Amino acid sequence: MRYILKRLGFYLLAGWVALTLNFFLPRLMPGDPATALFARFRGMLGPEALDALRETFGLTDAPLIMQYFTYLGHVLQGDLGISVAYFPSPVLDVIQGGLVWTVLLAGSALIISFVIGSLLGVAAAWWRFGRIDSLAPPLSALLGAFPYFWLAMVALYIFGFKFGWFPLGHAYSDAVTPGFNAAFIADVARHAVLPVGTVVIATIGGWLLTMRNTMVMVLGMDYVNLARAKGLSPSRVALRYAARNALIPSVTGFGMALGFVLGGSLLTEIVFSYPGQGYLLVQAVRSQDYALMQGIFLIITLAVLGANFIVDLVSLWLDPRIRETTS
Amino acid sequence: MKRGRMLRGRMTRGRRLRVAVPAVLVAALLVALAAVLLTGCTQERAPLPEGVLVVSQEQQASWIRNFNPLTTASAARWPTLSGIYEPLFIFNSITSEFVPWLAVGFEWRENNRVLRITTREGVRWSDGRPFTAGDVAFTFELMREFPALDRRGSWSFLDDVRLVNDNTVEFHFERLYVPGFGEIAAQQIVPEHIWKDVEDPVTFSNEEPVATGPFTEVRLFRNQVFELGRNPYYWQEGKPAVEALRMPALPSNDRANLALVFDEIDWAGNFVPAIDRVFVDRDPDAHAYWFPLTGSTIFLYANTKREPFDDVRVRKAVSLSIDRELLVDVALFRYSRPSDPTALCDAFASWRDPGAVAAGDWVSFDVDRANALLDEAGYAWGEDGFRVDGEGKRLDFEILTVSGWSDWVRAAQVITRGLADVGIEASVRTGDFGSWFQRVQEGNFDMSLGWSYEGPTPYTFYRWLMASDTVEPVGEIAPGNWHRYASPEADRVLEAFEGEADPEGQRELAAELQWAFVTEAPAIPLYPNPSWAEFNIGRFDGFPTAENPYADPSPNKFDRGECLLVLTNLVPRGQAADGSADDGSQAEEQ
Repeated sequence: MRYILKRLGFYLLAGWVALTLNFFLPRLMPGDPATALFARFRGMLGPEALDALRETFGLTDAPLIMQYFTYLGHVLQGDLGISVAYFPSPVLDVIQGGLVWTVLLAGSALIISFVIGSLLGVAAAWWRFGRIDSLAPPLSALLGAFPYFWLAMVALYIFGFKFGWFPLGHAYSDAVTPGFNAAFIADVARHAVLPVGTVVIATIGGWLLTMRNTMVMVLGMDYVNLARAKGLSPSRVALRYAARNALIPSVTGFGMALGFVLGGSLLTEIVFSYPGQGYLLVQAVRSQDYALMQGIFLIITLAVLGANFIVDLVSLWLDPRIRETTS
Repeated sequence: MKRGRMLRGRMTRGRRLRVAVPAVLVAALLVALAAVLLTGCTQERAPLPEGVLVVSQEQQASWIRNFNPLTTASAARWPTLSGIYEPLFIFNSITSEFVPWLAVGFEWRENNRVLRITTREGVRWSDGRPFTAGDVAFTFELMREFPALDRRGSWSFLDDVRLVNDNTVEFHFERLYVPGFGEIAAQQIVPEHIWKDVEDPVTFSNEEPVATGPFTEVRLFRNQVFELGRNPYYWQEGKPAVEALRMPALPSNDRANLALVFDEIDWAGNFVPAIDRVFVDRDPDAHAYWFPLTGSTIFLYANTKREPFDDVRVRKAVSLSIDRELLVDVALFRYSRPSDPTALCDAFASWRDPGAVAAGDWVSFDVDRANALLDEAGYAWGEDGFRVDGEGKRLDFEILTVSGWSDWVRAAQVITRGLADVGIEASVRTGDFGSWFQRVQEGNFDMSLGWSYEGPTPYTFYRWLMASDTVEPVGEIAPGNWHRYASPEADRVLEAFEGEADPEGQRELAAELQWAFVTEAPAIPLYPNPSWAEFNIGRFDGFPTAENPYADPSPNKFDRGECLLVLTNLVPRGQAADGSADDGSQAEEQ
């Protein structure tokens, strides 16, 4: 229990640091939201519009530190402010629309990649120097070295543009009606294949290698030999004895990976015009929409911290040593 | 015995596991792949519904529902300003004429201090209520009360708006300012009976718009796409022939171009590189484009508050050193042409003064004359092949552009090459838009690329290039005239222009402005920007083309409602199309 409380305290502190950075970093950019919006029109808007925009956004001249405390207060009340790029919608409404898709994309990619990668890692270590072991690790390491968005662009070009097997973008076609029906779900799945696939391909190597290496180490442990000597079935030895313990570093990595996958999926989303947070963030930066940027970063921060907390709990369950040292 | 059985048992289980895991994996992968390929292969790009015009103008990843035509900062603006709501008069930038729209006529009174506008009769709002001059007066009153809605700065010259009767409204000017007509004419009008109850019209998102335009019914709204159906009470009999507008959310120019090539869009305003090969050749019967040069002219601005650009000879020499033919070739795929010396784009073609064009001899490519001008200005050659100023300092400048705006970056590179030949060292400095715009507005630069301001007459254009009252001190934000040039001659002509309501008189004054510009060379014109427009003539008939130039073809010309001319003229191919396309362009001159 004390362990959990200690972790919670740490996450609160980390959350506050992230909030503070979220607030100050965007404000270091030159320019202001009004001029940024003005820019999108490249002279199509008359110079008078600039005054109207400043008036609209009610840009404040209060000192930064005062703005900071107001911001903290608002966030605690769950008020993320008004988006400038999507004026006058509240940031919460803007983010809500995209959040589902990002969670779907990043979440399914992460889980698929984690499960397949770890299973392959177990297999590679169990049959060392076998076919899986000699093929999978180098291949996945090679693919993992490419940036997500580059793989995404290649996949889009080959499978979307050249062969036309998959749609060129969006999360579902305009022709289907969103809702809980088979046609819609199939359509969403089809649209998700390329974006999810590229993220999976790019990340699978990490899981595979971590799992394989720890597994190899664990397989040499005395208790594994004991389990074998007891005559337990190989599947039981491999999965229940070795893999469970070998999984601990991977699980710890899972929380970290969520942050990277969220960040990486933002780029993937842009390539596939997936209506998630990725393009929102680009739009927010282009429009110097501080409120929206802060909102998106806040969501990412919360997701990563939350995932890490869950990981802490899971390792508590997986690893009795932690339980012992902390109790 | 016992041991042997154990061994055997272990082996079979081992084999089972050995086979099971990869088999399951492979099977799962195969099933997934098969499912994917099957659905993938059977999928054909569904044809677009007939009569629905798919438009891509604004690049967005997802739509936020907002149909407020008055706020400057709203998303989903294109149809709001040019489809749902309508202005009083539409300025046609191809014919340079005002087309009567919600208004049918205007008249200047009391020595051009009062503008009387007659509104159209028989126009109804999309809820069936009649449109009157009262709505016009109300809209302007609203803008007075909420300056954030006054996008065109109308209340900087207006004193009062008075309703005369149900179809007449009078605009009383605070000062003599005839060009203000263009701003009043372009104002989108909102219904009084709805907006009078809106608490804060600045943040009002107007999700169910009531308007006078051809498309007012929100048939569908999702974050990826929305559709607008016809206005049942539209005032133009039998129009629009298009059944609905569909706006897919496409987040980038590349994505929009892909959609264009694959026939997912009927009308777009994107920059498409090598368009004949990429777009037209794929389906010459359906894919067409027209890029008239009616966009704002792109300039090289030299900061006239800095040496040596305060010297007109240096500015002209810089201009003469630029190979503009090469520039439009390299930067713009030859979509444009070198600017003429008056810097007027083709939207102002009818204003162009041949005498001024002939007198402006400093926009050709002539290295010898550039060198001669620089010699005359006193910048001698230094030892390292570059010129030096009076104190022996080398002429060495930065040209600012925006990173990612590849046309500008390439143009700047061509310019540096030309400058090197006349002994001026220049380097291209690209910056993020925000930092670039801040430096340019504050006058903190040597040279920079930049746009210019459009408007119905050359008045606005030249005012922001050389009027004294647009010059801000260096270090302070200037919305235009970033090169900070003041011309007393232009001030005089601009002032006369503000009081001149007679078209013939305006033409003479515009010619004088052109003469001032070509004599003083306040800024260096490069090329007029094309107005981007791509369309699918296989599905719709009636797009403006070079053969039938009745209006500007670009969906980007929405701010002043110009796209309405096209929207009311399009006919789906499936229906009986007579092909005549001139209704919108008949200007009822009063």
